[in-house]
Amino acid sequence: MARTITLPALEDPFSPAFRALLPALLATRGKLGAGRIERIRARRSVLSQSGTFVGHRRYERGDDLRHIDWSAYARSGELFTKQLEEDDRRAVTVMVDLSSSMLVGTPPRRLAALRLAAVLGGLALARLDGVSIVAPGASHPNQRFAGVGQLPHLLDYLKKLPVATTTPGEATALALQAEAIGRAHWISDFAVPSDFAKALLGLRRRGVRVTGWLPTVPEDEAPQAGGYLRVMDPETRQELAVPVDHAFREEMRRQLQVLGRQQDRMFVEAGSQLWRWEPGDPEAPRLSNYLPVLARCERGHK
Amino acid sequence: MSLVEPRFLWALCILPLLWWLSQPPKPQRQLLSAHLAQWQLALRALGRRPPRGSWLRFLLLSVAVACATLAAARPFVPGASGPDKLVVLLDASASMAARVGQRSAFEQAQAQLRSTLAMVPAHVDVTLLRCGGDLRRRHGVAARQCNDLGAAGGALDVDLVQLALATQTEDRVVWTLTDGQGQARLPDVGALTLLDAAGRNAVIRAVRVFDEWPLPTLKLEVDVAVYNGPGTDSEPAAVPASLQVQGALAAPQRLERSLSSAVVETMQVSLQRSSAGGELVLDLQVEGDPLAEDNRVALPLPPLPAPRIAALADPEAGPFASVAAEALADEVGGEVVAVESGSAAGLLLVDGGFVGLRAADGELAKRRVLTFGTRLSEDVDAQPWLSPSPLDWSRTSELTRGLDLSELRIDRAWRNILPAGEAFLWWVDGDRQVPLGVLVDAGETASVHLAFRLEDSNLPLLAAFPQLLRRSFVRSYGAAAAGIGVPEPPPARERDLFARAVGADRGLPAFGGEDRGLARWFVAAGLLALALRSFVR
Repeated sequence: MARTITLPALEDPFSPAFRALLPALLATRGKLGAGRIERIRARRSVLSQSGTFVGHRRYERGDDLRHIDWSAYARSGELFTKQLEEDDRRAVTVMVDLSSSMLVGTPPRRLAALRLAAVLGGLALARLDGVSIVAPGASHPNQRFAGVGQLPHLLDYLKKLPVATTTPGEATALALQAEAIGRAHWISDFAVPSDFAKALLGLRRRGVRVTGWLPTVPEDEAPQAGGYLRVMDPETRQELAVPVDHAFREEMRRQLQVLGRQQDRMFVEAGSQLWRWEPGDPEAPRLSNYLPVLARCERGHK
Repeated sequence: MSLVEPRFLWALCILPLLWWLSQPPKPQRQLLSAHLAQWQLALRALGRRPPRGSWLRFLLLSVAVACATLAAARPFVPGASGPDKLVVLLDASASMAARVGQRSAFEQAQAQLRSTLAMVPAHVDVTLLRCGGDLRRRHGVAARQCNDLGAAGGALDVDLVQLALATQTEDRVVWTLTDGQGQARLPDVGALTLLDAAGRNAVIRAVRVFDEWPLPTLKLEVDVAVYNGPGTDSEPAAVPASLQVQGALAAPQRLERSLSSAVVETMQVSLQRSSAGGELVLDLQVEGDPLAEDNRVALPLPPLPAPRIAALADPEAGPFASVAAEALADEVGGEVVAVESGSAAGLLLVDGGFVGLRAADGELAKRRVLTFGTRLSEDVDAQPWLSPSPLDWSRTSELTRGLDLSELRIDRAWRNILPAGEAFLWWVDGDRQVPLGVLVDAGETASVHLAFRLEDSNLPLLAAFPQLLRRSFVRSYGAAAAGIGVPEPPPARERDLFARAVGADRGLPAFGGEDRGLARWFVAAGLLALALRSFVR
């Protein structure tokens, strides 16, 4: 018999303090990496010789030989392909994971995810041509916003997003359906890397450069509670009775580190980057908590 | 399958409790996590298993408990129908001691029991009840071997017919072994073995003892009878009998008497006991009596006190005390001993003077003493008392009852020398009686004190004086050791061996088959379930 799980209540993710902080955050100087709004073929984008060099990736079978960096091969003896980014992309796509696994954490990871989506979307509205929100499971899973004047609508849209059980493949399909060509930001917990690996590769093949955002919670490092626990996965509804002692806590810390490395490797192999963001105290948001987000956005732009 | 103790099935109610106990403990807290796979991997890396209940383990435990409960309820497969219990009613009344040939009827009954019970199937539950005399019960092997049944004797107080009727049930059969003596009819249920112990029987029906302890004379009245059965022409009307009295006597005696059948006659015997005591045996001998036990009565006679009489008199008291001591010793079979230090005396006669019997606190020593005008302590202020008259004596005291002391004259007596006690002789002063002689009872002993010396009175010259001396001697020895136990007479219904019920013998019925117990199989199944459970995780 399946046990009933009581999920945390969905509170307003945008507290007055956050809403007061957001204009100041958007007024900061900086650039934001973007993608073209107009439709181009992904392969053309991928195969494009023009653009800004953003890094190397280990050569994989099927990659264009013209992108092989022979100089790097001469230096290291290994094949790498050059990763280029076009300068004329003027919009971003923000993919938000609405699954119930995002409710894990104290405070819930979903709260930080929605605030991060608001910040990224707000930056796109303020500095670029617009933002496309992809939220699989929502009543309007693809929603586009343009102009800074739509910031309240963006916040309202994000606030009303439900909890939904979806797969990374659905998110990918929605993103492609929304013509998320160029740069995309995927906010999720990436809890099962194997589920996301195929989706990330699919996006890469369609020319979408994905930046992964993982809002961290304390539970990502080690179990915060001790004693005899019933651990439940809110998404699969599976549960496990575990006595947590010091040895188990250390082993769990090691397993979570392994998971972190798996997530990093998954993004590297997809030619993308994964940023872990520590949101800080949700009750008292500070500008300093969000400056790393801006910094990483600018770094991605360069 | 049937159960011997189905009440133990209540123990199965423990199964819900076991189910509850077998559940894993409930976690203290609930935690949501998106990393359930990592939790499982951590458990696997540490070689741990999450606590969980196992239906199979609970099932095996339930099987073990159920098997143990059923084993406690003693399941069995019933054998063939028929009785599986045997109750033997063995008549052990006094008449069963009658000899039939070389052995008594009781011994014959035991021999038959042993041989028959040896052939009774082992699963048959045998109980033996000895009826008659002291009731004894033997069960199992002790019953089959007739262990410790004692000798026949006593009355058959139970009604064998009713007892057999109450005992016989569908699964229990009764076997009665009796001689039918004194019974109106025989049991008509179950098996029956009738032993023929009929014959002429003489019996001592009662013995009455007239003891004159501590004097050696003893008188007996013995009621005897002979039961000769239904008279025939060839049988004589009277049977010669002799009563032999022997044992703790100065000389055995033998009384011959011709006894008519069923007529009680009383034989009187006067005896002189031996001073050492012992057993006095009365043996009534009649020719052809198979039951000798009721012809014989043994009376335990305690040893007579060996009176060592010492006489002590002041120089002016005359020879009366020593003469009285010698006369008393001659009458009661004692001896006169000299008054010496270290010499033991059973009775002390003191005439005049002083003897220290009273302690400083006024308590009188418990001694067998007869004093005449003797001070019992030095500090007594003895006042001479000339010619006390008139005198009177007690008609009810055991010392003076029936004696004539009207001729008693006392020239001089002494005041204040008598201890407190039961007065039997006194001076009459109007309505007041001033004691001149008292009996001091001290339990097992007694002492007699008179307020005048023998020389100062004509008491030694009176005919009542020897009686007074002898009664004082008897009273001083008390009566505690004088009882002679007379054994119970033989039961009335065990006297006439011809007064018996008769009937035909009946054999034992066929017994049922043995039940096959299944408890050990259930125990084995329970242990197997526990063993399997130890391998199940």
